[in-house]
Amino acid sequence: MAIEEEQSILFAERPEWADVTPLAQYENINPVAPIFYTNEYKDAADYFRGIVNAGEMSPRVLELTEKIIRMNPAHYSAWQYRYKTLMALKSPLDVELHLMDEIAVKYLKTYQVWHHRRLIVTQTRNPGPELAFIAKSLQADTKNYHTWSYRQWILAYFNDDELWDAELPFVEEMLENDLRNNSAWHHRFFVVFQAGVRKGDEDRDEVIRRELGFVKQSISVAPNNASAWNYLRGILDHNGTPYSDLQTFVNPYSVPHTLEETAEGVVDLENPLPSKESHLPAVAAIEFMADIYEKEGGDSLMKATELWKSLANEHDTIRKKYWEYRIREACQKVTT
Amino acid sequence: MAHPSPKRFPDDSYYTETSDIQAETETVLLKHLPADPNSLPSLQKNQHLQFLVRHLVQGFPSRYASQDASQPWLLYWTLQGLSVAGVGLDPDNKQRAIDTILAWQHPDGGFSGGPGQAAHLLPTYGSICSLAIAGRPGPGGGWDQIDREKMYKFFMSLKQPDGSFLVAHHAEVDVRGTYCLLVSAYLLDLLTPELVEGTAAFIASCQTYEGGFSSASQPYFSPTSDGQPNLLESPRPSLGEAHGGYTFCSVASWVMLQPFLALQPPDVRRPTINYRTLVRWLTQMQGSESELGGFKGRTNKLVDGCYSWWVAGCFSLLASQGIGGGQGHDTRQSGSTTDDETWDDVDDSLWNRTALQQYILCAGQHPNGGLRDKPPKVADAYHTLYCLAGLSAAQHNVFPSPARRAELQHAWATSTDSPHHELRQTVFAEALSWTEEEGTSNVEGGHINRVNATHPLFNLTITHSEGIMAHFYHQTLPKRQRRG
Repeated sequence: MAIEEEQSILFAERPEWADVTPLAQYENINPVAPIFYTNEYKDAADYFRGIVNAGEMSPRVLELTEKIIRMNPAHYSAWQYRYKTLMALKSPLDVELHLMDEIAVKYLKTYQVWHHRRLIVTQTRNPGPELAFIAKSLQADTKNYHTWSYRQWILAYFNDDELWDAELPFVEEMLENDLRNNSAWHHRFFVVFQAGVRKGDEDRDEVIRRELGFVKQSISVAPNNASAWNYLRGILDHNGTPYSDLQTFVNPYSVPHTLEETAEGVVDLENPLPSKESHLPAVAAIEFMADIYEKEGGDSLMKATELWKSLANEHDTIRKKYWEYRIREACQKVTT
Repeated sequence: MAHPSPKRFPDDSYYTETSDIQAETETVLLKHLPADPNSLPSLQKNQHLQFLVRHLVQGFPSRYASQDASQPWLLYWTLQGLSVAGVGLDPDNKQRAIDTILAWQHPDGGFSGGPGQAAHLLPTYGSICSLAIAGRPGPGGGWDQIDREKMYKFFMSLKQPDGSFLVAHHAEVDVRGTYCLLVSAYLLDLLTPELVEGTAAFIASCQTYEGGFSSASQPYFSPTSDGQPNLLESPRPSLGEAHGGYTFCSVASWVMLQPFLALQPPDVRRPTINYRTLVRWLTQMQGSESELGGFKGRTNKLVDGCYSWWVAGCFSLLASQGIGGGQGHDTRQSGSTTDDETWDDVDDSLWNRTALQQYILCAGQHPNGGLRDKPPKVADAYHTLYCLAGLSAAQHNVFPSPARRAELQHAWATSTDSPHHELRQTVFAEALSWTEEEGTSNVEGGHINRVNATHPLFNLTITHSEGIMAHFYHQTLPKRQRRG
């Protein structure tokens, strides 16, 4: 391919770059901890320093910065200078975004690819296509921190009803793929509770009922999923709902499988039982029950202490120190 | 005696990508458990030192070109790795290091990822901390060549209306930037009320429902009659889930902002964070016995050696705010630990320090030198430092000593009419009150595995923190009293 051939020629050997004075990184010093760059990288970086030094903002700067970014997408100065050049040249930003579609997927893990996108979309003010693009990127890396935060930024910054409309189905699809994807759980919390009230969600009691139903169902499928328990606690803390409201639901998860549970009796839709193959007791359920008992106080504190002891000595021994601390704290509260 | 086989991750017979990769990881990790639980591998200090010195003196292989914009970090990880391992530099390499760092200073203030790059808060932290280790006062020493005035202007130019900071011009906002800025301001005596107005509330807004902190939050403003945007308290959603790295940056920033908050007039409402959920989340990040007690950075993700510092390092910060155990004592009654008493009995911290040491020693060390995320990964400069710093956090209890704070306050020798006098004095005394508690270090695997204590806020040794701060605050440090 002609383009590739052209790209492999060093800038130092290209006549159209002859007017630029490349700048070496270190002059007159013998640096510690140097990086052994490839010739290709060193060449591009020297010309980049030359361009920055001269303050040039021209179309060829876009070519040069793209070259550097492809070799090192974390080169934030190349991104910054590229952005300033795009603005100075009034370059068509849809072209830039199109290029970014490819680059973002290739270098998902760098801050800069996502931030550059954000700068561009802030200018174009066309967030619509972004959600689909992000969804596609998340297929490749389902827990990518930058991708998820970018999605949350798109929603929160543009705050357009149409954008928010399909978020719950999207989260549910992500959770269907992996019920333990904590990024997706966080996104759900962001959508439902953190970023204002969505259209159709005005009845907050109904929203809480819906979310409790969803998370209970999820816990019943995989009772040891820490993400779901954290979400449950999040709902309750956020809305000031007492943990004891969940006692009927949680209790069966805090003990070994029982006979009643396996009997095909009346199904309580409000309180789904743990799946038959699950590993009980679930640590998170014991912790939850202890929280309920602690809050009750009085005689129940003994029950809480027993549960914490069982966590410390049997079910969650790595956190022995923490469970002992919980016992100390609870006892101190009583005596003071 | 062999280990009892540790209980594996309870997958509830419901398999997803997360549980699959979790199971694979546990299988690999468990192979690194020593056959005899009473004989841990030693810290291969010599090999790790060779790894660090090779980078420092010879350089980094070309795959590190991906960190070309993080050169100050590469140097800081290397120098601080050496410091934690107890090794100093010879004068020649020190001078080379100083000259290299000064080549990163940006003409308009702050430091850059490399010569000719743009100024950025993260490499500014890396550069200042490297100078704390290698630099000195006077001509060519690095310290007095830092342009503090321009740096302050650079900091202010990044400040956002919600109290946060861009990490660089046209770049993103996140709590790493806040942390790096605050450490730089602490070390160089640049902290002013103007600089950090609103910053604590920004940090608080990054705490998520899980208890840990996210990268940033989204501000909303309402228009006011005078045209100035008015920041709304709610909604102010966090962007991204609770994460170990961001949590460390947030908690350390929170602690560093306390002297400023304490001097606010009583009628100003102070932002708060939820310590209860934070402590819970931090302890939840410690992996179980089947993960050798290493730390993870997010719920349902894998353990990684670097969180030995980012997550486990938070506990001493919390203790300094009166949360949890490990508050530390200026004097332990001598002989309080009897022969029958194990270290575990006197350790009142909230997490399993013994298990983390096991993770680092058994899984964190690469056989060819350097430390790593987890086997079978290769070692790198970043993981080498944060595994060593995590090992240090697990071995030592470093706490803000009230006695030391009083000594520093008493010895303060700056006229009381200098600007922000009270704030600067408090910052100085608080920062340098951190002291290693005597008689409570817990070194698994014998004394040979001991590494130096490191400052819980800065991740510099106490000595390096004292040296650079005494210089920039123009103070003579009172001698530390050895007690007991």
